[in-house]
Amino acid sequence: MDKVVFLLSILSLGVSSQSITDSQRLFTIAVSRVQHLHLLAQRLFADFESSLQTEEQRQLNKIFLQDFCSSDYIISPIDKHETQRSSVLKLLSISYRLIESWEFPSRSLYGGSAQRYQIPPKLSELMRGIQLLIKANEDGVEMFSDSVVPQLAPYGNYYQSLGEDESLRRSYELLACFKKDMYKVETYLTVAKCRLSTEANCTL
Amino acid sequence: MKNMVVVGVLLLSLMPHANGAGFSPPGKPTLTSCRSPEKETFTCWWEPGSDGGLPTTYRLFYLKENIETVYECPDYLTAGENSCFFSKNNTSIWVNYNITVVATNELGSTMSDPVDIDVMYIVMPHPPEKVLVSVLEDKDWPFLRVSWEPPQKADTRSGWITLVYEVRIKLEEKDDWEVHLAGQQRVFNIFSLLSGGTYIVQVRCKPDHGFWSEWSSSTYVKVPNYFHRENSVWILITTFTAFIFLIVSWMIHMNRHSLKHCILPPVPGPKIKGFDKQLLKSGKSGDVFNALVASDFPPTTPPRCEDLLVEYLEVYIPEERELMREESKHLQDGFLKSEGFASDSDSGLGSCNSHTLLMDNSGEAKETDRRTDQERSRPGAEALTYAREDVSPDMSSGRVKTWPSVFSPLTPYSSGPTDQPGAKQHCLSDSVYPPGSTSPCSAQDLGLNYWEFCFSSMQPHLTQTRSDVNVSDIGPERAAARQQSPAPRPTEYVEVQRVSEEDMVLLQPVGPGPGPPARPGEDYSRVKGVRGHNVLLLQTEEEADGRACEELETKGAAHKPTACSHGGLPAPGRAAPAASGYVDTAMFVLPSC
Repeated sequence: MDKVVFLLSILSLGVSSQSITDSQRLFTIAVSRVQHLHLLAQRLFADFESSLQTEEQRQLNKIFLQDFCSSDYIISPIDKHETQRSSVLKLLSISYRLIESWEFPSRSLYGGSAQRYQIPPKLSELMRGIQLLIKANEDGVEMFSDSVVPQLAPYGNYYQSLGEDESLRRSYELLACFKKDMYKVETYLTVAKCRLSTEANCTL
Repeated sequence: MKNMVVVGVLLLSLMPHANGAGFSPPGKPTLTSCRSPEKETFTCWWEPGSDGGLPTTYRLFYLKENIETVYECPDYLTAGENSCFFSKNNTSIWVNYNITVVATNELGSTMSDPVDIDVMYIVMPHPPEKVLVSVLEDKDWPFLRVSWEPPQKADTRSGWITLVYEVRIKLEEKDDWEVHLAGQQRVFNIFSLLSGGTYIVQVRCKPDHGFWSEWSSSTYVKVPNYFHRENSVWILITTFTAFIFLIVSWMIHMNRHSLKHCILPPVPGPKIKGFDKQLLKSGKSGDVFNALVASDFPPTTPPRCEDLLVEYLEVYIPEERELMREESKHLQDGFLKSEGFASDSDSGLGSCNSHTLLMDNSGEAKETDRRTDQERSRPGAEALTYAREDVSPDMSSGRVKTWPSVFSPLTPYSSGPTDQPGAKQHCLSDSVYPPGSTSPCSAQDLGLNYWEFCFSSMQPHLTQTRSDVNVSDIGPERAAARQQSPAPRPTEYVEVQRVSEEDMVLLQPVGPGPGPPARPGEDYSRVKGVRGHNVLLLQTEEEADGRACEELETKGAAHKPTACSHGGLPAPGRAAPAASGYVDTAMFVLPSC
């Protein structure tokens, strides 16, 4: 009996070490995916801004400050200190929620960009990856996402509710918010990955 | 109340005074840049406008996203003149800041244009630190290893910032840099360096979404001289090559003649008899060609035997069937030979000049023969004289050459033309006369021909028979000659004097040089035709009178005693030619092969 327990413990050790390695690999993949999405968002936003005229730009800037991003309800760390204080799991869950919040609105990004760059499928893939990471790293902690998911429904149509004449403003908002959220997820995932890596120097 | 009025009056008095001095409200300041070195704090700088001649104060106000409150810059000092430093507590990332600078002086204030920034996108780190360059060696070839540290304030360890680096290098005296992207690593190797050169190395970094840092301070490095090692190798190679080249050129020099022969073979000189090279060189082409022309050709006078080229016919009769084929070829060759009329004197077998023994011995006998031959060798005369020898089977290679046997003419003739000096002996082959055959058509009836036959089935006794037959005719001298005839060289030849017509071959007996006077004149027979592969039809000169065909049976096996031709007896009173016109091959001594 003791031997069996011993063997099982060794096995679980091996599995956990394996899982750590798998986790690292998954993190790497997730980080690279979100980096790609972020760069895409940056490019889309820059293209949009360049297509605007100066006066419009100024107006939009003013307006933007007073608007909300749909993902503002998700409370996320806004500086380094807060981020480092958060646990890996928290970071992962926040990331998951942020990505999830863009699953539907991303389809109406400016200029058919969503279809051209296949943003919604990429987001879905990233969500699946983060889910795997959460499963790999959870150790009995309650998941946030389960409780929050039902609440997303009313916000899902936030951008669709805006009128037609504000399409330019809506596009601007969409692109800016999308860019911001992608950057957030990238930062959180990078920090979480570094925290889990065994190497002292995370960047290598 | 009174104080206030006084103050107001004072102010009012002051103000026009100030205006009157030419001062103006400050010019519009400009926010030049805002930068965050580590994504935790940031600083904004502005450029002041004209101050309007009055002391101007600058104040920075900002608005945060979704917050109505206007904040003022918390720190004007840390970052230096005309700057505002936002500490960690005042910095929020992913939050839009709307920043404005206001310049104020006594006359008024001016606001700058607002600037929107997001801290996450204005990151410009400090340059990398502790840049070290060391020279290492890779199989005798040196290379540089550059190593550095990220800027101190950038938190790369927790992954808050991800930095990528870039290295650039140039020679000290040159102007163009060589830039290499190093990625996220902190070490970089540079190869292909100039020996003995001094290089300058710099490094800079950039966050994944941000601005490049400034270049680090220059690091100087000197590459050692490694070229001398390379040099010695080249010297060795050059020396070795030169040495080999010397050897090769010396060898060529030693063998230049043979090489010259090989590459430029000498032009063969003309091999024309009577061609004088010296004459050609002297350039007198007329003389050259005149010399070629033989003075005695075509021979108008009966030529000296020595002057003529020897041509003889060789006919071999094979012993076996297999040999027959072979022989036939030879026969044809023989036939062909007979048609030529200018050939070397050393062609073919059994040169007439080679064996003269019989002739010498039977010189006297020959004389008589000559005489008789001469008689008959008048042009038009047909006499066949034979030099007959004992047919000793001198067959070295299975072919027995026919030995000429000189037959005295059956009918004596009056002496004809004088003996020609140096007349050649007749070279005639004796026909094998089968025993028991009738007397052969006289040899004298036949033209003077030499046929060398090689009869496989030749039996010596036949020839001996013949010789026996002739012994009586010949006389003791002959016999003596015959007895002495087992000469090693039994053959005698007839030379072809010329081919006068298509079907006429003029033959002339050939004898040793200083032998008995050769028979004068010429005896010839006309070749009527070739029948079959081994039959030559000869025509006697007196064909007109009667056809005398001489047929030489060359088939060994078939030695049929052909009817002899009686064409054209040289002497007057020739007998009528035989109807068949064949020459009895028995007339000829045909040595067995």
